[in-house]
Formats: sequence, C-alpha cells, structure tokens
Amino acid sequence: MSAEPVPEAAAVEIVDLVVEYDGTTALRGVSLTVGAGEVLALLGPSGSGKSTLLHAVAGFLEPRAGTIRLAGTTVSGDGRPVPPERRELAVVFQNYALWPHLSALDTVAYPLRRRGAPRVQARAEALEIMRRLRVDHLAQRRPAELSGGEQQRVGLARALARRPSVYLFDEPTAHLDTHVRGVFLDELVARQQDSGAAAVYATHDAEEALGLADRVALLDHGHVLQVGTPQQVYDEPVDLFAARLTGPASAIDDGQLLVRPGWARLGGPLEGDVRAVRFRGPHSDYLVHSPRGEVLIREAGSPRHAVGAHLGWTLEHGWPLAGGAI
Amino acid sequence: MRPRGTPTVVRAGVPVPLALPVAVLLGVLVALPLLRLVQVLWQEGDLAGILGSPGLGTAIGHTVVLAVAVTVTAVPIGVALALALRRPDLPGRAFWRAAVLLPVVVPDFVLGYSWTQAYARAGFTDTLLGLHWDGLLGPVGVWLVLVVNAAPLAYLVVAVGLAARSEPDLERAARASGAGSTTVLVTITLRLVLPAVAAASVLVFVLTLGTFAIPQVLGTPAGFRTVTTRIYADLSIGGDPTSFLEAVSLALLLVLVAVVCVAPSDALLGPRLRSARPADAQGQQSVPGGRAARRGQAVGVGLYLLLTMAVPLAALALSSVTRALGVPPTPGNWTLDHFRQVLTVRTVEALGRSVGLAVVAASLLVLLGGLVAVGERRRAGRATATLITLTLVLPGSTLAVALLITYGRWLSGTLTLILLAYLAKLWAFAHRPIAGALDRLPPDELHAARASGAALLTAVRTVALRPLAPALLGAWLICFLTALHEVTMSSLLYGPGSETLAVVVLNSQELGRIGPTAALSVVLTVLVAAPALLLSPVVGRLRVPHDGPRAEVARVG
Repeated sequence: MSAEPVPEAAAVEIVDLVVEYDGTTALRGVSLTVGAGEVLALLGPSGSGKSTLLHAVAGFLEPRAGTIRLAGTTVSGDGRPVPPERRELAVVFQNYALWPHLSALDTVAYPLRRRGAPRVQARAEALEIMRRLRVDHLAQRRPAELSGGEQQRVGLARALARRPSVYLFDEPTAHLDTHVRGVFLDELVARQQDSGAAAVYATHDAEEALGLADRVALLDHGHVLQVGTPQQVYDEPVDLFAARLTGPASAIDDGQLLVRPGWARLGGPLEGDVRAVRFRGPHSDYLVHSPRGEVLIREAGSPRHAVGAHLGWTLEHGWPLAGGAI
Repeated sequence: MRPRGTPTVVRAGVPVPLALPVAVLLGVLVALPLLRLVQVLWQEGDLAGILGSPGLGTAIGHTVVLAVAVTVTAVPIGVALALALRRPDLPGRAFWRAAVLLPVVVPDFVLGYSWTQAYARAGFTDTLLGLHWDGLLGPVGVWLVLVVNAAPLAYLVVAVGLAARSEPDLERAARASGAGSTTVLVTITLRLVLPAVAAASVLVFVLTLGTFAIPQVLGTPAGFRTVTTRIYADLSIGGDPTSFLEAVSLALLLVLVAVVCVAPSDALLGPRLRSARPADAQGQQSVPGGRAARRGQAVGVGLYLLLTMAVPLAALALSSVTRALGVPPTPGNWTLDHFRQVLTVRTVEALGRSVGLAVVAASLLVLLGGLVAVGERRRAGRATATLITLTLVLPGSTLAVALLITYGRWLSGTLTLILLAYLAKLWAFAHRPIAGALDRLPPDELHAARASGAALLTAVRTVALRPLAPALLGAWLICFLTALHEVTMSSLLYGPGSETLAVVVLNSQELGRIGPTAALSVVLTVLVAAPALLLSPVVGRLRVPHDGPRAEVARVG
C-alpha cells in the first residue's frame, strides 16, 4: 500500500495529457480533475478518446506528454510510469473481460489473491461480494455460461473486490439489453457510493451520463469541449455540437439560439407547421417549421396534431449559442 | 426432413454429392495401402522374429525419446518467441517475425546439412576460430536441429492461439486487479494459450516421429538410428526379403506409436481446438513493458536466429562457393565451379520434375482440400473431414511403404506414385486452412447475397471467393513448398528417371561431395524461398480486413 493520501488531493488529476497511436493523436492536451468520491462522466461519440483516456489513467498505455496524479501521487509523466497493478484503481470493461478459464468465484477472488489473501479466505470474501450483487448463485459458472448482464455483474464484483480509490467504467452497459441496463446502473451507483471511491464513467449515452454523474466532461476528437454539472452541460452548452451530445437540440434564429424540446410548448403567438410527429410513449415530439427556424417541441401524452397542421407555439426559454450554426 | 416443394439442389448447397468420391479417393490413397501393409505382414511375416530383433527396439526407442525431447524443447521456444514477437514495441519486430519463419522455407535436410557446414569438424567455425562440435553428428545434434526446425511451427500455432484467445482486455483486467506482469503471464496469458500449446505439442511430436531427413543427415553417420532412417536403409541398401519385411513392420509400428500417443490428446483437445475464434494473427501487448526487457527480448531473438539460422546458412552459402574443404572462405578462394559441376542435365531434369510435381500436387491438393472443406458443411461430409485430419498423424515413411507395396507392381519408380504419396500426405495440409477460412466466413454475408437476388453459385463467386482467396493461395503455397522439399517419401519411391531435386541433393550428400552438395542445397533453397517470398505478400494483400464486432469494440472511444 502506498502512503496515506493527502486529504485535499483530488482522486484523479489529469494535466495536458497527449496520447498518440501509430502517428495519430488520440488525446490532444486533456486536463480534468475528479474530486474524492465524485463521479465524472466522459461523454462523447465513438473515437472521441473516452477509452483512450481511461486506458491512460489505468496505465494500459504510455502517454506522449502530460501528467496523471492519483490521490496526489504522480503515476505518469514523471519518470517511470507506475504500472497498472500499483495504481489503486479498478476497471469495468465494455466487453466484460472475464477470463474464460476461471469460474466467476475465482474471477472475483483474483484481486483478493493478488493482495496476498489465502485462497480460502479470498473465496469467502469473493462470495460475500457476489452475494451483495445477488450473483452468488453463479459462483461456479464459467463466463461462457453467463448472460451478458450476469457477466457484467461479475465484472463489477471483481472491481469491488479490488477496493480501489477510483473506479474506471469503460462503457460498461454498451453491450447490455435495455432492460438489464437500468438495473445494472442502479447497482453500480449504489455500490460506488457505498465504497466512497471516485469514478470515471465513459459512455456515449447522454441519458446515462446526465443521470448518474456529479459532473460531465464532453469529449470530441481528443479535446475536452466542456466540463460541468449535468444541468450546466445540458442547459448551457458551449456550442451546438456540445448541445447535441447531451440531448435533442434545435437551433433557431440562424443558429443563434438553442431550444431544448421542453423549452417551448404548443399554443401561443408564434406560427408554424407540423413537419413530423413522433409518439415516444410518455410524451410526443413535434417538429415544427416556423419563420425563426425548425424547432422540436415535446409535450406529454399522445399526439394531438397531425403532420401538416398549422398551429401556434410559445418559446419559454432559449440559450444563446456563441458560435452560431454549425 | 426436406420441406415440401424445395428442390434438393438448393437445400444441399452443393449440387453434387461430394462425400462419396472423396471417401473413395481416401480409401485408394490411405485406407487400402494401410490394410495392405497389415496383410503383407500377416501373410508373410515372421512377426516374432522381426519384432524380436534388437535393432528394431532400439530404433523405436530412439524415435520416441527423440520426439519427446524435441517436443518439450521446441514448444517452450515457440511460446517464448510468440510472447516476445507480439510486443508491438519490439525493435525490428516486422523483420524478426519474418526471420523466425525462415526454417519453414528452408528444406529440413538443407538445415541439417548447413549445421554441419557451420559447426562440425572442418566447418565454418572450425576454419575461422578453431571451434567445432563433434556431438553435432549424433543424437544431441539431431535433437538440437530438429528443435530449430520445429520451433517456428510451435511459434505459429501459439501465436495464432495468442491472437485468438488472449484479448488485450483480459490481461489489462488482471493488471488492474493488482497482478504484476509475471503473475499475469502465469495466471492468465499462459492459461489462455494452453489449448494452443497442447495443439503445438501434438503437432511437433507427430512430425518428429515421422521426420527423416535430419536424423539421416546427422544421425546415420554416427550410427544413431530412428525408425524412419532404418526403413530407408532397409529399402535402399538391403534388398533381401527380411529387410523388406522389417521395413513394413517398422512402418506399421510407427503409425501405431503415433496413433497411440496422439489419440488421447486429440480426444481431449479436439473440440476445443476446433472452436478457435477468428482473429488476425497480429496479437498485441496489453500493457507497455519496460525498455530494458524490450531490448533484452530483441537481443535474445536476434542471438537465437543468428546461431540457429544465419550462421549455418551463411556457412552453407560459403562452402558452395569455396574452392575446397578446409580452405578459408575468403573471396580469394571463391569459385563457381561447384555450381558448374552440379548443373548437369540430370540435375536440371530433376529440377524440372520437382517443380512440375509440386505444381501439379499443389493444384490438385487445393481442389481436394476445398472439396472436403465444402463437403464438411453438410453432415455427410463431416466424417471424411475428420478422416482427412487424422492423416496428419500418418508418417511419410509409412505412407510411402504402404503405397509401394499396394501399387508398386504397376507404378514402381514412377512420378505418379510419388504424386499419389504427396496427395495422401498433404491433403490435410490443404484442407485445414481452407476449412478455417470457410468457418470464418460470416454466413450472413452469403445470406445477404442470396437475399439480394444472387443464386448460390453466383453468391459464392461474388461474395465468398474473394475472402477465401488468401486461404486458397496460402494452402497452395504450403503444399507447393512442402512438395518441393519433400524427401522422406520421394527418397523411398523414386526410381531411375524420377528423382526429384531433393533426392539428388540427399544422394549427393550421402556420397560425401561437400562443395557440390552445398551448391545444390543453395539452388534448392532459392527455388523454395523465391516463390514463398514472392507470393506471401500477395497472400497478405488479398486478405480483406474484416470488420467484425471485435474490430468495432477496439475502435470505440
């Protein structure tokens, strides 16, 4: 174990990180901080550098430049990088990364064994962790005999067994069915909060990022576009691209004004024609064409207007976009 | 089971039933000759007398011990090479990866002979430094050169296993769980490649059981006999019925030993080996390692290749141009006399025969291998495919003796008999890569072609043929190369007017003509290496990058 962490030190501190793969730059000077016990979501499209960032923090690759500190200790950027096994973190992988030759129980016991626990004790402790995640009945199964959701719970149990100060989640729900996803996410958040550890959660799903993170970092092409609370990045995005990363967005007035679907309502002084209607279950979306531009309006309930209807609407709120239309 | 109104032709996928002709051919090439082997021994053999002869027991003992010793040495070397060469940051990696496979294109008796030119008395190191190794001619030398010859094969099997089974994330997960690089190697990586290691072991073991040229070149002069060299001696030197019967019983015993040793491991491993996941054979390191280790590995690989391949091949090339034995191999003493001496009409004819035979054999083999691979997709064809795979276990000497006693009456000493032997021996070599490529072909691609309006044959031609091309060409190349430097069977089956170039080289070596043998070896090696070097980039370029789900995963984020 390393020295007692400095109380004020951030769990993760990344300064000017640059990563290159075979000549292409994957991260171009990224700086981010994750406070103790904080959940930071990395939100960005495929290829934006989310996984690369996690791999750099975990020590799976050597950055070209920049510094990474974990709990105040420099692990990369200052002399020899600290290898992954001596960084106090745990990783949950997108493709589960369960070892095909080990039973679920031995998989969860693996990090405990590496801490030097005797086999019997490691297995007992692993079983306890699995019980908390309600997967103890799968203890003797191999990965091939588990469903995707079960595999990822075992993957989470393995991470918990590591008792890290930082969790790294690399799109852990990307391969899970929608109905399994919600349950898994609730479990994950609850366990992470129990442990008091910080977490970095990479995802391309805006709802996931906004729903579970304390703060969200928007990534694109190896750059951080914006960092803020979920409300900040949703309500006050730096530009239209950032706005679209975090949810449905309309830009009116020549791209100068951002309108979220809930910021406008049907009925009112402004005129428009319905171009498309989508029933979404709890609510319905209307694409309204008006002289100020096309705007997406969301209202509760089933559709009340058909395509082609001429109607009035009201703009209740807008956010001025700096860059104008993209 | 057939749905009403659906024509058989469409459902069967392949319009003609393939299983029957393939089975008949398999019977003619393998089953009948083996049965004949048993029959001859049964009818005419004084079994007790032959089995009781002391030389026979010694030969079998030598063969088994040698096979075990080579396996337990060559496979760890192959594993070490595969682990070292998968590091993307290894200095000069592309060069090492090609260089490690060099023994595959160098005929095995040329390798053995080049070692004598390098390290034996009056060899390269003796002339230059006064150092030579007497043990090279004898069991230890045979063992060492067989290890060098087999290591690339073990490397290939393990490297493919590494790429297929050990995804980088599995090792990363272990590192992030607190395991150091050595612990990861022991608890994860080596466990994941265990099936590949087992497969490599079986393969090396079987090939060593049937190996002939290296024990012949390095063992026979020292009186170290194996089953295969004894069969050769019995058939080529001894002309009496006793030695003939001894050869027949040795041939049968050899295949029995192979089957007894391999059957349990195949039953154990067979299903697992067949369910290998598709992967590019690249492989990659999951976590960067230290610079010192990286440099150490590069130096290790370099030193190994220098001593096992570079020095012997250089010594061989030098003795082919050096005027006489024992003269320092300096430019002043260089001459092309040896080449002039060996480039006789007889050699050129043998060369032409070798190339022609290899081209015909390789082309027929790709056709036969493809037939079995396609037939395998239907239930009826599966048994034949299994039988074909089993022929891998058949030692060349056994096959040659069996074919000789079955068809010798009509075909003795003809190229046709040698061709039949090649077809029987190499069928599995052609079948495996084609079957593997067919397995990797996503069925949805053919379905999509059919759903887009292509008839079956059109679909195969337009969608399947292109992705299969590298495997077809690769299979052809493997068969061509193996046929070109095959000597185990051709040295038993050739007659006047049907010597292959490899047989000419072997005979020249047995006559003790050092310079000319070296010159012939160089000619043969160039002949084998040239098409390999020319065609392998073509195979690589034909390979379509496949955007499987795994590739997708790798690109996300």
